[in-house]
Amino acid sequence: MVRFKNRWLLVEFLPCPTASSSVLDTSSRDGPEITSKHIWSALKQSVIANFGDTGWGAMSSSLTIKYYSPTTNVCIIRVARDQHCIAWAGVTLMTSVEGRRFIPNVVHLSGTIKQAQMAAITHNRIVVARYRANAKRPTSYHDSYDNFLQSCTEEIEALQD
Amino acid sequence: MYIDLNIPVPVVSTGTVVASKKNKGKTSEKNQQAQGQQIAVTFTPAQLTAIESRIDTLEHLGYTVLAFNQTAQKKIDAKTHVNTVDPLLQKLRKRQNITYLKRLTILLDEDSEKGFGLTTGNLPLVAPYDLIALLPTTAATFSQACLSYTVPSNLTAHIISLPLTLPRLPFNLKHTLVRTAIKNGAVFEISYAGALGGDNDPAIGNAGGSDGGAGAKRNWWAAAREVVRVTKGVGIIVTSAVTNIADLRAPRDVGNLLSMLDLAQNRAHDASTKTAQSLILRAQTRKTYRAVFSEPKVVIP
Repeated sequence: MVRFKNRWLLVEFLPCPTASSSVLDTSSRDGPEITSKHIWSALKQSVIANFGDTGWGAMSSSLTIKYYSPTTNVCIIRVARDQHCIAWAGVTLMTSVEGRRFIPNVVHLSGTIKQAQMAAITHNRIVVARYRANAKRPTSYHDSYDNFLQSCTEEIEALQD
Repeated sequence: MYIDLNIPVPVVSTGTVVASKKNKGKTSEKNQQAQGQQIAVTFTPAQLTAIESRIDTLEHLGYTVLAFNQTAQKKIDAKTHVNTVDPLLQKLRKRQNITYLKRLTILLDEDSEKGFGLTTGNLPLVAPYDLIALLPTTAATFSQACLSYTVPSNLTAHIISLPLTLPRLPFNLKHTLVRTAIKNGAVFEISYAGALGGDNDPAIGNAGGSDGGAGAKRNWWAAAREVVRVTKGVGIIVTSAVTNIADLRAPRDVGNLLSMLDLAQNRAHDASTKTAQSLILRAQTRKTYRAVFSEPKVVIP
């Protein structure tokens, strides 16, 4: 049938490490908060600069930023399937959002929102596990990360197509 | 397993040269040893932390095999060449899942047409490196690189990298040259630093002027597409070669970027995995006779 197909990109924005800190540091964020609108406009600039008006025109009608969490820097983007390559390349060539530099890292690409949600939850758990491994606490220790994971999971599950 | 074969080693200030001009009377072996100990390579702590954080980022993005690249201008000479990669590798922290490799890139321009030091005489200089790469900037050096230096031997340069951001690729990529190089086992390198418009390796910047910003990006797209067309997608590896950590990208992102260059998706993915892996294995055959892969064992019945 002529069903409209989408692709869901799960992107993690790694805050750019300065010479003294590394990617795994959770240093305090300075500057204004970033929202999904900022990401949308940064992606728009990146696609227009690299693929021109044709590229942006092709995917703009189907591009939506579905979810962005400033704490984990995880973003879920929905594009139409035919243009998902342009959108993905636009994300890769993006260098900064609102003046702050990031490294965009596409973690997962799927065709349904359900898989994107599951990938996002798994990714959050992996990141928290990494933090915990760095802090070297025993695994049964309950810390603030549990509540954090719980709230993130609820936010992600609440997404709808 | 994702492989990144081009991490530029920062240009270092060499330590004090212990001048001993009295070598003339000594034996040749002692001469060489004295020369090797003369120049001490020191890395400042700031440079070391920068490199460590770059490796952290690469590990986070999923790369497991990294090669540190030292660029030599024009030619390598026994008298002036200092191996900066070895001391660097000794200073870096050991990481469990990551393999470090050593690579030497020789930048070729008009002066190198007569010879740039990749001879059997310089074998001890070149032997410690796992991979040798050539970066030709003129047509003559390009044909030299493709035809004579990819032939299997102790000195084979397995990687041919092209300066993709120069205003106009100075030479036509002739199909026959490229095909011979690939048949001999060489591989063409596309570095994605040009697409992001990051700061160029100063070594390449000296070679011919890459205008930074929008011009460089356009040239990158044109030149990279040309390379993909001429090689038909076979024998391509993709590397980072970025000077700024902010320009590093995850391997699948880079694969998708290459598929925008009309490279089939599976080949784009192979560019950072299978092709690179077989290249590293092939480069090890520099140490064997006539690029034979395994050592035959004599079995006496």
